[in-house]
Amino acid sequence: MKRIKLLALISALMLVFTACTADGNGDDGTITTAADGGSDENGNGDGDGDSMGSTLDAVIAADQIVCGVNDGLPGFGVVDDAGEYTGFDVDFCRVVAAAILGDANKVEFFPLTAEARFPALQAGEIDLMIRNTTWTATRDGQEGANFLFTTFYDGQGMMVPAATGFTELEDLANANICVLSGTTTELNLTAVFEARGIAFNPQVFEDNTQLRPAYEGGTCEAWTSDASQLAAFKSSIEGEGGEEQFIMAEIFSKEPLGPVVADGDTAWAQAVEWAVMATVQAWEFGLDSSNIGSYSGDDPNIQNFISGGDISAGLNLPADFAVQVVEQVGNYLEIYEAHIPALGLQLEGSPNNIWTEGGLMYVPPFR
Amino acid sequence: MTASAPVLARPTAVQWARKNLFNNWWSGLVTIISLPVLAYIAYRVLLFVFVNAQWEAVTRNLTLFMQGTFPRDEQWRLIAQILFFALAFGVGAGTNSASTRDAAEDAGLTYIKGTIFGTFRRMWSLALFIGILLYFATLDPAGAWYNPFLLVAAVAVMAVLGYQVKWLPRRFRNLGWVLTGILLVFGFQIVSGFDAGGWVPVGLILAVTAYSAIAADRFNNRWIAAGVRLAAAVVVALTVRFIYIVVDTTGVGWDFWSGLHLTLMVSALAIVLAFPLGLVLALARRSTLPALRWIATGYIELIRGVPLIALLFMGQYVLGFLLPQEVSLSSITRAIVAMSLFTSAYVAEIVRGGLQSLPKGQTEAGQALGMAPPTIMRRIVLPQALRAVIPAMVGQFISLFKDSSLLTIIGILEFLGVREIVHAQPDFRGVAIAETLVFVAFGYWAFAFAMSRESQRLERRLRVSR
Amino acid sequence: MTTSQTTTEVARPPFWRDIRVIRVVGQIVAVVIVFFLLRYFYGNLIENFNRLGISTSYGFLSSPTNFRITYHESFNPRSPVWEMVLVGVKNTFLAGFFGIILASVVGLFVGVSRLSENWLINKAAMLYVETFRNIPPLVIIVFFGFAVFFYGPFPIFSESWEFSLPGSENVFLILNKDRWGIPGFSEIGNLTFFWVVLALGVIAAIVVWKWRTRMFDRTGQPHHRVLWATGVVLAFSIVGYFVTGQPFEVSYPAISEDRRVLNGGFAINWGFISVTVALGLYTASHIGEIIRGSILAIHSGQSEAANALALSGFQRYRFVILPQAMRIALPPTINQYLNLVKNTSLGTAAAYAEITALTKTSIGNGRPTFQSIVIMMAVYLAFSLVISAILNVVNQRLKLVDR
Repeated sequence: MKRIKLLALISALMLVFTACTADGNGDDGTITTAADGGSDENGNGDGDGDSMGSTLDAVIAADQIVCGVNDGLPGFGVVDDAGEYTGFDVDFCRVVAAAILGDANKVEFFPLTAEARFPALQAGEIDLMIRNTTWTATRDGQEGANFLFTTFYDGQGMMVPAATGFTELEDLANANICVLSGTTTELNLTAVFEARGIAFNPQVFEDNTQLRPAYEGGTCEAWTSDASQLAAFKSSIEGEGGEEQFIMAEIFSKEPLGPVVADGDTAWAQAVEWAVMATVQAWEFGLDSSNIGSYSGDDPNIQNFISGGDISAGLNLPADFAVQVVEQVGNYLEIYEAHIPALGLQLEGSPNNIWTEGGLMYVPPFR
Repeated sequence: MTASAPVLARPTAVQWARKNLFNNWWSGLVTIISLPVLAYIAYRVLLFVFVNAQWEAVTRNLTLFMQGTFPRDEQWRLIAQILFFALAFGVGAGTNSASTRDAAEDAGLTYIKGTIFGTFRRMWSLALFIGILLYFATLDPAGAWYNPFLLVAAVAVMAVLGYQVKWLPRRFRNLGWVLTGILLVFGFQIVSGFDAGGWVPVGLILAVTAYSAIAADRFNNRWIAAGVRLAAAVVVALTVRFIYIVVDTTGVGWDFWSGLHLTLMVSALAIVLAFPLGLVLALARRSTLPALRWIATGYIELIRGVPLIALLFMGQYVLGFLLPQEVSLSSITRAIVAMSLFTSAYVAEIVRGGLQSLPKGQTEAGQALGMAPPTIMRRIVLPQALRAVIPAMVGQFISLFKDSSLLTIIGILEFLGVREIVHAQPDFRGVAIAETLVFVAFGYWAFAFAMSRESQRLERRLRVSR
Repeated sequence: MTTSQTTTEVARPPFWRDIRVIRVVGQIVAVVIVFFLLRYFYGNLIENFNRLGISTSYGFLSSPTNFRITYHESFNPRSPVWEMVLVGVKNTFLAGFFGIILASVVGLFVGVSRLSENWLINKAAMLYVETFRNIPPLVIIVFFGFAVFFYGPFPIFSESWEFSLPGSENVFLILNKDRWGIPGFSEIGNLTFFWVVLALGVIAAIVVWKWRTRMFDRTGQPHHRVLWATGVVLAFSIVGYFVTGQPFEVSYPAISEDRRVLNGGFAINWGFISVTVALGLYTASHIGEIIRGSILAIHSGQSEAANALALSGFQRYRFVILPQAMRIALPPTINQYLNLVKNTSLGTAAAYAEITALTKTSIGNGRPTFQSIVIMMAVYLAFSLVISAILNVVNQRLKLVDR
């Protein structure tokens, strides 16, 4: 009898609970991270301009962008000692937030590992990914990812201690080479060395925190990574009074890095891409965060860029998106200067310079 | 043994050494060989800790190690949580010691009071860790917006304040436990927020309390009694629901937790969530129904046969496919699911051990009294068996706490994982890598050591009370 | 739940309270629930896979891996994925096997030391146990790599320390931060026949072992069965070596002219050493406590009896205490072995190419996630089953001895 009463109590309580939780929206008392990103999938085949069920709407409704970033990549995505994300890639997340939501701080940063990034994008956990992800054919084709404007042209390089006197890859026969796991770097390394018939031993590490001691200690004789990272660690090792390092002249891969969104959501992809490209256009126009608000010149192109009227209409962006981007975050040059020279890389002569200076930063006209 | 030992004169150093270091030639040889080795190890460790180590990577990022990327402007939630937990700890300890005192009084025994000093001695590793944290906090030029010393003092005050429940009269003992539970839930929710289904645990605790608080024998008809009690429970649950509607606020969900905070909370959550499933599995495995037994055994052996990291991979990369498309779980939720499923198999084995350790006479006594099997289980077997497995459960919690370091492999920023973001910062890019590792290792050690001491003590007490 | 089958009522209870009905219905309900749960998950899996166009086939196992594996020169990027799995299984096995040996030896030593009368040894062992068992194994592995290899005393590979025995120019030990070399065997003829002879030797040794045991039981003569069995195996291998035409020779490690390659001998890489030793030490701290507890559980009368027989301290342990303590210690120790094997999955922290690390790399390079993880879990389950089987045999034998 007692048992029946207890059962009755439990079922009555469960009734009350289910009745009352039905109007609650969450299930475990936590904030849902993705702004209902699952709806991306049915954006498939949606026409241009028609942003029904687009991530764009979800982002605007949530008033926040969930941006997948790296949290341990010097210069590109770093968490400082105040717990804030900073870096080149991180700033482009802010650019998108400034353009679409009018506030560069409305970004939720979502740290991702190399292995988890595409599943996270497919699952709609993140709206946007700017995590030093190389644009490749297989990824574009098979991972359900849509690669947008390349924000940084990198390439894979090889670093050795200068004392070894090695100058080219052929010198590294049978050497131990440190590399991070699950990245294109690892595949490139294998492909290049196989093609040239050089035997080698890869030492595959999870992260740089483990890789660097192995390299400095001499367990690895060489370190391969994106040239920007090698430059960063070269300056860091030498800056602490370590051995002098040498980065080989040969760059043996193309690594175009840029923002990535899920496939099949044109409205969202356009909004992100044009927001990012506005930084380069502002640079080309000579507009930066200090002068864009007070521009009083007569160039109709620039006036159009600032007022945004015709430009923004079909892109689902607010009229003043370019101004918001440049004022709150800066133009491409400002973003670059804030993070990249500190790694030991210079803009002069690099592909990341603007096209007028011989670089690859070339955006379609804003008109 | 020590109690009956005769009082001896304190031995001189030489006597002591002869007795303890050189009691025979073999022992003497070992001493002579190992002494320099141990001294050298100690020298190197001390040299590193006090002279060579650059602790700046830790001191500047102390908050990052503690709470990771948890939003800084919501930090007050964490502080409130610590205070709530301290209060809950105090109330729990007070109720526990009061009920021990009651039991001693009932048995006509004298109750030996524990002292605060005793607690300190058991928790010395933790105290040392907190001391180091405080010292590091003073080294950080920027510092926190709150005074960490004041926080520690406030924690102590809360714990002592909570401990005073032991002066409450006896009939409030159960209320003490209820209060502990509610404080723990509240402490959790002050961070995670009071929205959504957050009221359910509190509502359940209070509803069950209300149900059992009303004595059934006050009514003539048992149906009326049941109705009244049920009504009281529902009213309490609805009241709680109403309160939660009023205070409905969004907090910071666990997707945004990291650092040591995440490590501790994830381990605690996983073991709490694993317990019900583990209990059911243990009962099923001991059941006489072959189908139940096979299912439970299959599950337990499957889970125990694979490493946690395999389950974490499953959680990260496969769990999403096992659920409908609309359901999207965050990466930390998936990790918690994986850890809970993993732990439930181990909890099941622990509980099974507890059930087996119970003499058969207990069940038989219940049967002789004409109790139904479920009643025997609920009234006789489980209370004793679960009491007996507490030390093993603490042990399981320790191992879960240590295993939570694997989350770093799947990219979740728990205590160990914070190192990776620290060493990506411009100032510490590859600097002081060993120092942060030593700090993290010490943090794990301090908690695990204190808990293992506590589990040994519980074991001793249970053995004595048996 | 329904542990009791006693029905004292004479009248048959209504069917919903009839224990037989409840038993049958309960089982059916449980099976149905589990069945539907599994079907639900499986249905979702298939639906999601179809939606995203993910294949559920295991055909990828024969496609090339496209990466190299550390220290496996014979494994090239064109080697199929299943070969990678085999390499992973082999490395997991090696780390587990040698880790278990190390953990047992150190654990026994620590467990006995914990009970030593020598204060220094006792406290050192306690410090060791309390330190190692309260730190996550992952941290210990990383730390070991740092302390011994990266920041440790060894030279880099090209400046390796080479040790040779006096009066011989053959190097017998090469130490550095990378690959250690010890003497090994190299095949110069056909080894198949030699293996056959060796297998025969092992069978013969088992027979001899049984025979010595029976002799001991019958006559009480000291059996020396370990000596006998070893002798038989040795005799067979020596005879077999010459009979089959000296199919192998001892090869000494040597570093090539350009100081890049380790030739000959047997190479041990740093990842293996880190994982094996770190996990060995971690598990030893647990085994040490188990052995200590087991020794303490032996009645003190046993020790006193041994003293009364004037056995030395060593003899007391070897012949009286340890044989009894082992019986208590073995089951939990084998459980620790199982944990150790599972913990080798952390080898990725030391760049050691065991099955988890390789699976992870392979997934990162675009191999199907679900199938890869299923294979990985199957490997660990197989290891666990083998160890569980050993545990069962041990338990069975212990039960037989139990009086």
